[in-house]
Amino acid sequence: MTSRFKYVIPIWILVSLFAGMTCLSANAQTYTISEIDSVFVIASSGEVRYRDMVQPAIDSLAAMGSDIVPQLIDKFTTKSARERLTIIQILKKIGSPSLQYLIPALSRPEPLVVQRVCWALGDVRDTAAVNPLINISSHASWQVREKAVDALGKLKDNRADGTAISSLTDSVGQVRKAAAVAIGRLGTNDAIRELTSVLGDEFYGARMSAMESLVKLDSSEVIWVLSDSMISANELVGHLACRVLGQIATDEARDILLLQVETGSVRRRAHAAVAIVASDPEDQCGFHQQILEYERDRLVRIQIESAIKSADSER
Amino acid sequence: MYKFLLLSLIISVSLLPGPTDAQDKPESREMTGIGLLTDYLCLKPTDLSFRPDYTDQDSFRLAIVSRLMERPLGMIDYSASIKNAYVKRQPEILASFLFEDMARTSQTARGAAYHPSASEMQRTYNLYYTDPSLGQLLSKAAVHIDIILPKSTRAALGALSKKQQKFLQNQFKELLIIHEEEEFLSIEAIDSLDKAELEYAEQFAEFGLDIKKDPIIAAGIDMAREMLLEAGNLRQMIQSGSINPSEVLSKKGFVPDNADLSSFLGKQPGWVIGGTSNDYYHGDYKFILDFGGDDVYDLSYDPSNPHPVVIIDFGGNDVYRAQSDFTIGSGCFSAGLLLDFGGDDIYSGMSFGLGAGYFGFGLLYDAKGDDQYRGDSFLQGAGAFGLGILIDESGRDSYRAALNAQGFAFTEGYGLLYDSEGNDDYYAGGKYKDILRYTDHFYSFAQGFSIGLRPVLSGGVGALIDRSGNDNYKTDIFGQASSYWWSLGMIYDGEGNDSYHSFQYAQGSGAHMTNGILIDDAGNDSYFSKGVSQGCGHDYSCGILLDRGGDDTYTAYDLSQAAGSANGFGLLIDNFGDDRYFIKNPKNSQGYGNPRREYGSIGLFIDLGGSDQYAGNGRDNFYWRTKSKWGGGIDIELDPPDSTGETK
Repeated sequence: MTSRFKYVIPIWILVSLFAGMTCLSANAQTYTISEIDSVFVIASSGEVRYRDMVQPAIDSLAAMGSDIVPQLIDKFTTKSARERLTIIQILKKIGSPSLQYLIPALSRPEPLVVQRVCWALGDVRDTAAVNPLINISSHASWQVREKAVDALGKLKDNRADGTAISSLTDSVGQVRKAAAVAIGRLGTNDAIRELTSVLGDEFYGARMSAMESLVKLDSSEVIWVLSDSMISANELVGHLACRVLGQIATDEARDILLLQVETGSVRRRAHAAVAIVASDPEDQCGFHQQILEYERDRLVRIQIESAIKSADSER
Repeated sequence: MYKFLLLSLIISVSLLPGPTDAQDKPESREMTGIGLLTDYLCLKPTDLSFRPDYTDQDSFRLAIVSRLMERPLGMIDYSASIKNAYVKRQPEILASFLFEDMARTSQTARGAAYHPSASEMQRTYNLYYTDPSLGQLLSKAAVHIDIILPKSTRAALGALSKKQQKFLQNQFKELLIIHEEEEFLSIEAIDSLDKAELEYAEQFAEFGLDIKKDPIIAAGIDMAREMLLEAGNLRQMIQSGSINPSEVLSKKGFVPDNADLSSFLGKQPGWVIGGTSNDYYHGDYKFILDFGGDDVYDLSYDPSNPHPVVIIDFGGNDVYRAQSDFTIGSGCFSAGLLLDFGGDDIYSGMSFGLGAGYFGFGLLYDAKGDDQYRGDSFLQGAGAFGLGILIDESGRDSYRAALNAQGFAFTEGYGLLYDSEGNDDYYAGGKYKDILRYTDHFYSFAQGFSIGLRPVLSGGVGALIDRSGNDNYKTDIFGQASSYWWSLGMIYDGEGNDSYHSFQYAQGSGAHMTNGILIDDAGNDSYFSKGVSQGCGHDYSCGILLDRGGDDTYTAYDLSQAAGSANGFGLLIDNFGDDRYFIKNPKNSQGYGNPRREYGSIGLFIDLGGSDQYAGNGRDNFYWRTKSKWGGGIDIELDPPDSTGETK
């Protein structure tokens, strides 16, 4: 039997089942747990031989509509990552009608379910969830806080600005990371100074996410704040500020970087020099050779030469 | 004197660097490299750390696994400490060292073996053999077999009901084997099988904390210490010519004509002593001492009637054949020792043997010869709620298994395969298909591999150490210094030109909150794997491949050679040599970090010397950042020649 024919019979069964369920739906019939389960087993199967049946099964479940959402929420207690992702996919496809069940589920006692509901709300992208998400953003479970702030960022509604800013100082790195990402998505320019201080965060996820979000905010304000941050006692703040300035790539940004290539700190010179090359890969300003000639440290020179070679090869 | 020597060795072993030291020692070449690259990427070595609370923590997590997850770079020194802990002809020292690392995170004190009372120690046996050295060996064996181990087992498992003990004999065992027919099951059947396994694990978790594995393992190590000492003394006397085996066996005490021989030492039920001729042993034994000859052992064991097993063979080309599971250096609810001091031997196990600890302690020690080790599952240094060790001190050896072998561990287990010398071959796989991912690849779960049952049971520590020789390692899916779910998998290969060949999840790799490290100190080595290999950590995991010397060749397709995936960390570090790095997909390899959970992973590719060749992202004398979140590499001469052309 060829692989194509192997799936004919199971898919036919699936389609029949789906057709039957559609009829049931027309009669406002709710589906039994076993009916949903039998399709869900296929939808969440990870096995290579059933791969072609997964998407039709997900589509079938989504087509059943919001009636099945309570049962999907109950399934959020699953210990299987694959099942969890499948539920999110189905909820995303059902869309806004699922909110009538998802929002009340934020008050469920199991943090595991609540964090996954937050995740789903972020993916459904309906701003009706903003206030309920803000309300649970100080939940005792850091996983819930992380997913709530993350979802708020995805909803891109500025009612969440204050929550995102205050979450930058959460005691858990993952929440600070979520806040840094959310601020970039929300475009919260009021948070530039706070976000800059996160460049020195202990958690690399928060630090690097802050760097990426700063590039998305008002560049003149960002340059102004980063200029001040170069003397931060936490060297990482200045190093990452160089990376941000290199990506902003304006004359003002490069002026700050040029000052940094003359500092006594070998590391700072390296970050600034590489950022200058990144800011002007075609060397229209003619700084590449200038900074290379100035530099005496062997490893910093290799870094600059590498950056120039990379820029050349990308042209 | 011996005790003092042993004590001082144990103390010196315990003074070896702890698992966290590497991150505090920037002076090592690899740490210098990590420092340089992390600085270039605006990262810090201390960024390589995982929280313990991404998910609920189960109660069976080993403290060493937890500590190394917090500071994964500590794996480098930890692996070295295991390699250096071995003292030739004294496997019990290494076993004691490993036992120390088998504490649960929540455990504040360690359990000990049962201490026999003075009256139990002084219990007299009827002497059959009157030679004092043999008498001493037999009487000590009797104390361990008849008193210490049974009572230690009671201390370990006595809190369990009959039903729970049956569960360990049957359902729990199912978690460690695969049936070939599973590949033909329907989707519903596979789903219910997966759910049944999870249910078994959950059922086990309800009473698993009532199991105290320490007393059995400690008693097994004590028994190994005494048996090795007494067997060593007896062998020495034979080798020096002060006694000869036939004389020893002919010196018999007075035995009345109608006496029941089973009350005499060495003649008890399940005990047998063989001479220097070619002997045949068949059955479920407690004790066998064989003075030499090419012997055949057909061994069986009944887990419903657990007992210690001691087999000592002084030499000859022997064949050990399993007639059931749990034989050949297998400790099942007890301790099993097989000590073979010479000859080219064949060890043919079924499953749960050849140095396997299943709720117990199993040791297979082979001192000499070109040996062959074969079997199906859970063998050749495998542990689950127990310690399983296979030690081979010399010879050109061949290791073959299907699954869960060659330094394998499951929950609260430590499995170690330690081979000191010789050009060896390691193969695991080819029987149980990986139906989840492929139609034409097979699970290995071997060669320094450990696994837990996600998310209910954390795993243990699986290690393969080969100190020297040109070795070949071959696995398919999951093997060669990798692990899954709160575990540690490691390979440490000292010297020799080695070949590592695998397909996926291998060669310093971890998947789902876990760690894997492969260290190769020297030799011109060759590494091949398709993906998620050669320094790859997936889903809050860390995989490290550290090759310290030689002209090496690395080949992979994707997500390898310093790849971090789903917030994991992947590191490939090569300290010296003219190396070649080949990659099929440079977009997710050689210094790659994959974005997940709205942030990134970390991939660090580090080559610190030599003239190197790349197909991929790297170049000689080059720093690079990949377009990923977040990763990059360096290839530099860490110690460039000075003006006279000399390097440090």
